[in-house]
Amino acid sequence: MAVAARPSQDFRTEFRTDSLLGLKIHLPAQNLFLANAVAAVLALALAGGFAFLMGFTRVPAIGIFSQNPDAFGRVFTGHGVSALILWPIFFEVAALIFTSTMLLGARIWSNKLGWIAFLLMILGAVLLEASVIDGVADVGFTGYVPLVASPFFYLGYVVFATGALLAIINFALTLAQARADGVLKGTLPLVTYGAATAAILATVAIASGLVALVPTLLWTVGVFPSVDPIFYRTWFWGLGHTLQYVNVVAMIVAWYALAALTFKANPINEKYGRIAFTLYVFFTVPVLGHHFLVDPSLSPAVKILGGTLFGFGLGIPSLMHGLAILGSIEIAGRNLGAKGLFGWLKLVPWKEPGMAILMVSMALFAIAGWSGTVGTTVQLNMVTHNTMWVVSHLHGVVVGGTTMAFMGLSYYLVPLAARRQLFSRKMAQIQPYLYGVGLLIMVVTLNWAGFLGVPRRTPDISYGGASPDWFLSMNLAGIGIALAIAGGVLYILNMVLTLTHGKKFQ
Amino acid sequence: MSSLASPEYGWWKPFPRHEKLWLIIIGVAAVLLSIITIVWAVSGKQNVPVASYNVTPAAFEKQVADFTAKHQIPGATGEVRVPPGEDAFLMANMWSFSPVLHLKAGQPYTIWMSAKDVLHGFSLAGQNLNLMIAPGHAYGVRITPQGPGTYLIFCNEYCGLGHQAMTGKIIVE
Repeated sequence: MAVAARPSQDFRTEFRTDSLLGLKIHLPAQNLFLANAVAAVLALALAGGFAFLMGFTRVPAIGIFSQNPDAFGRVFTGHGVSALILWPIFFEVAALIFTSTMLLGARIWSNKLGWIAFLLMILGAVLLEASVIDGVADVGFTGYVPLVASPFFYLGYVVFATGALLAIINFALTLAQARADGVLKGTLPLVTYGAATAAILATVAIASGLVALVPTLLWTVGVFPSVDPIFYRTWFWGLGHTLQYVNVVAMIVAWYALAALTFKANPINEKYGRIAFTLYVFFTVPVLGHHFLVDPSLSPAVKILGGTLFGFGLGIPSLMHGLAILGSIEIAGRNLGAKGLFGWLKLVPWKEPGMAILMVSMALFAIAGWSGTVGTTVQLNMVTHNTMWVVSHLHGVVVGGTTMAFMGLSYYLVPLAARRQLFSRKMAQIQPYLYGVGLLIMVVTLNWAGFLGVPRRTPDISYGGASPDWFLSMNLAGIGIALAIAGGVLYILNMVLTLTHGKKFQ
Repeated sequence: MSSLASPEYGWWKPFPRHEKLWLIIIGVAAVLLSIITIVWAVSGKQNVPVASYNVTPAAFEKQVADFTAKHQIPGATGEVRVPPGEDAFLMANMWSFSPVLHLKAGQPYTIWMSAKDVLHGFSLAGQNLNLMIAPGHAYGVRITPQGPGTYLIFCNEYCGLGHQAMTGKIIVE
């Protein structure tokens, strides 16, 4: 292949052999991985800061910004941008670099392109956060037109998306080059196969996002007279929905990696997981319909087909992977001599941070995933639409599922790339359970609040004293929020201290 | 065999017993759920609104104004008494719902709702009825009020700085 014919520089000086996993690591790729991972952790720290202010605004007994809608507008936009866009995508780019270079013993196709992509993403992130904090983008991370933010906000999205697209191109060419170099023989490892699936979905998501955001950017600077609200909403969810499945696929990649790294648990059949990954590509896009189940713009047939039936289809690969990973853990336990139906559960290393986080992540994703499957039905959606039920569902799948899985993977890969030991193993052992219990309480109480009808995305639910008795559910959620924040702080501290004070490997 | 390494040649093998069983369970669940959904949509008493029409915000504003003028309750500006059998109109704009609708308990009504400016949401507090309201589209919601009382309408889609105070009322007599 022509693209792969770039001459290598000095082969020996560009690689090192890692002492932890015995991987042959391309040094430029390692640095690029680390840059993206650090940016991800910083974005998560910002997301957590916004989460604290947002969460305790929503707890009526505390209500930090309940009388300050201006501040609330900034906080909830900042939380969405940081937690749903910046943190996962920075980490996913790091995961693409890891699975295409370090894992295969391959070199990155272009170091320069990697850094250009990274700097564009940083520039986009800074534009986004600055316009949010400056208070010129109080529109929510969804930015539904004709609500209007500063052009710099949309520019931030476009620049960030362009950077991410370049990182995906670099990933694809790195795999092609690994094949041409002879480093990659046969088919891709399962986790790299999953990462490639995520990259394909991410390309679709970014393309759809640009269709929504570029006209909107041009509208805010006066080139276009208007952007149709339904046009924007549809294409925005082409981005937002597909991106959530990029997160799901990347989460499953992290699950497989964690099972293999912490317990040598590997799937029984290589075909099964690959088929499941491929199913995501077919089922993901139509299911963006489930965002429009109570919109006036679509016919009931389209809603039921796209939102509900394809939604059930989308549950298939997630269930396949969940069973395969649990099954692989059971087999690994039986290979160690476990007896009886559940004896293997005793041999699972519950004190190993990566295994603890894997099990908690799978449990939370299963609970909130099932609630999501139920929620794609038209009738129930009318009950739960834009209530705290949505917040319960998405925190279960995105925070409990994806964010926890990424945290787990970073406990192993950041020390590997930074060549420093994890600062505190103890903190990493407690963190999954603390964070997980906090999230579980949040998921349960907010689900209840949702069925009571408590709306999302509002600083205050009193409506001048006219609202029903909603307050107990939201106050109880505060306990979960506090525990989750504590778990988040523990993670961020551990990561930062690992980078600054972790003991160096020789 | 490891998830972290390329499998050896010949990895495309038939599914072992466990995986066959999983696939059957998952497949049956997906098919059953789909059948129930379709049967329920065709013959169940689903009441998600299906009627809608396209209308410019200006044209809808005029429909609401005409409707309000026709059924205005004397002495109560912005409040209308909707005669049973007639359609009602409700407009969402930053940051209120208008007009206030007086309905009769036990009578079926269709309320057409649309937005003047940005996306809004229609929620009826305590009744678990949540819908989207978009400019350019009128959504026809069929409701039959069950008992007398004052029902709070609030907006469920973030629509700017006055969002948390965006309310309206339906009074059932």
